[in-house]
Amino acid sequence: MRVVFDLLRTNIEFAIGMFLLAIVVIVSALSFVSPYEPDLIYVVFPDMPPSAEHIMGTTSRGQDTFWRLTFAMRNTLLFGLSVAILSRILSLLIGLVSGYLGGAVDRVLMSINDTFVVIPLFPILVLFYFVMRDSMSWVGLAIIMACLGWAYDARLIRSVTMSLRTREFTQQSVFSGMTTRQIVSQEHLPYVMPIVFSTTMNNMNWSIGLEVTLSVLGFTNINTPTIGTMIYWANQHTALVAGVWWWILFPVLMVVILFIGLFLLAVSMNEYIDPRSRLSRMKGAA
Amino acid sequence: MTTLTQPGAGAAMATPDASVRPVLSVEDLRAYYVLDLFGVKREVRAVDDISIRIMPNEIYGIAGESSSGKTSLIKTIAGAIQPPLTVVGGKVHFDFRGKSIDLYSGAPADLDAIRWRHLSYIMQGSMNVLNPVRRVRQAFIDFAARHIAAPSRRAFEEVVVAHLDRLHLSPHVLDAYPHELSGGMRQRVTIALATVCKPEFIIADEPTTALDVVVQKRVLAMIREVQREIGSSLLFVTHDMSVHANLCDRLGIMYAGRLVEEGATSDLFASPKHPYTQHLISSLPRIGDRTPREGLKGTPPNLADPPPGCRFHPRCPMAMEVCRTVVPPFVTAGKGRRVACFAAEPETIPDGIANATRSIAA
Repeated sequence: MRVVFDLLRTNIEFAIGMFLLAIVVIVSALSFVSPYEPDLIYVVFPDMPPSAEHIMGTTSRGQDTFWRLTFAMRNTLLFGLSVAILSRILSLLIGLVSGYLGGAVDRVLMSINDTFVVIPLFPILVLFYFVMRDSMSWVGLAIIMACLGWAYDARLIRSVTMSLRTREFTQQSVFSGMTTRQIVSQEHLPYVMPIVFSTTMNNMNWSIGLEVTLSVLGFTNINTPTIGTMIYWANQHTALVAGVWWWILFPVLMVVILFIGLFLLAVSMNEYIDPRSRLSRMKGAA
Repeated sequence: MTTLTQPGAGAAMATPDASVRPVLSVEDLRAYYVLDLFGVKREVRAVDDISIRIMPNEIYGIAGESSSGKTSLIKTIAGAIQPPLTVVGGKVHFDFRGKSIDLYSGAPADLDAIRWRHLSYIMQGSMNVLNPVRRVRQAFIDFAARHIAAPSRRAFEEVVVAHLDRLHLSPHVLDAYPHELSGGMRQRVTIALATVCKPEFIIADEPTTALDVVVQKRVLAMIREVQREIGSSLLFVTHDMSVHANLCDRLGIMYAGRLVEEGATSDLFASPKHPYTQHLISSLPRIGDRTPREGLKGTPPNLADPPPGCRFHPRCPMAMEVCRTVVPPFVTAGKGRRVACFAAEPETIPDGIANATRSIAA
């Protein structure tokens, strides 16, 4: 907790990132008090510009843009988080085991890892959509993306663990009779956690970006409100041509805020992990 | 703080008493680094034919220059070897109170049972044995809790705090991260960590190397104190002869993977028999003596391809014809002394070698 306050005080990127992320989280949280059901259409007058009653206007489908956006933001955020958490679990497991055990286990796991690194993601995801069609929920998509998104970070964690394996404290742990599971989970896991936090942000950016891309093109379940599907429906109703600019602008604005927020957090986390840049920035503040 | 006693205080230990059984007996131990690179087999003979006995309550020092196999030897003794280091032959036998074990013939589970509780190992570079992201308290729990049969976390912590108190360390160190402690402090915490289970046998690999002399003295005093208090044996390794002179009851000198001389520290310093020991001791600075120290020419041999005969002969000023071909046996030479040198023990020269005693020194 103290770390967060120190960072807020000394690291401007972290402070801005936290602020932007807070906006996104508050908007998503507002979906719980929404006056409108998310799935209903034509509940308000369509195509109304922003006004006191509808602060972001209404869509051509007769939905309030702001309240629709709260649901979309919540789903997008949840999607990004679940992909990040699932893929973190995979990359931690594979990276730690591969790096610590080494030898044949390492070679096998890293061959699989490298296969996933070179797989072209976008065509695979489109292929999944065409195979699964309507049974493709956002949970299914999250699981598929998590299975595709762990490889880079597993390699990163593996390389850190390989260096930890040769440290004295690992040898001491082996000598004291700790099992492999204990060494990996008690000694090495805390060491790689900051790296995991930092990569979580990048991974969320990556997965949200891909989800938006897929949704805009209509390759996901378009009835689930997400930022991507909102833009998809806006395009379907030719919102820009019809002059309903607020239908496009606000979702794009929100996703840009989310991206910049996560990016700034990842950058400041990276800086925090590297003790040299941390020291030069904090100058004895911590 | 206790003052360090002068060598000789423990000289009584030097003569093996028949009624007391040694805690550790190493017999003809050979441990090689067996490398198989691209089909080319290489053996690096880091530990070659070493026999040592260490009595209860004794401090045994192992001295020798870098790459003479000191660390390999004690890793083998501690049972902490990893490939490519492999035991090729010989025996390591521990005889603890109520528990004896052969290290390289018993089951691995037995080894786990004696580690830490009976046998602990202060590793080389031991300032880094604390995980940088874990608090010191956590290190105690991780490494030692399983070996102390404490009924609860709280009881275990009391044991730890009592032990820290005995070593004049504040219980506050438990809440610190390793980087918040100074080097000497970390070293002392490491020693506390290794001795918290009151092991009967402690192995210390260069525990004072990275410290300045003032801290070094404090750490040595602490090691000595804890050794006395627990009544354990200590196998102490360093290349620093002055540390050995201050601490050890008996001393073994290693050269190129073999023991070349062994004896009570005071005897060894007073009358070194092996030419290598003589050089080691004469290289020490003495107060008031301003004569330049003479260095030993050459470097230690490559252990992958050691010279035949005595491994010291290419650098030895007293080398003879016989030293080139025959390995000098490690024989008893006086009370509690053993030496492996034909020049020191001419009786050990085998018969029938032409010009055996002709000098070959340049």
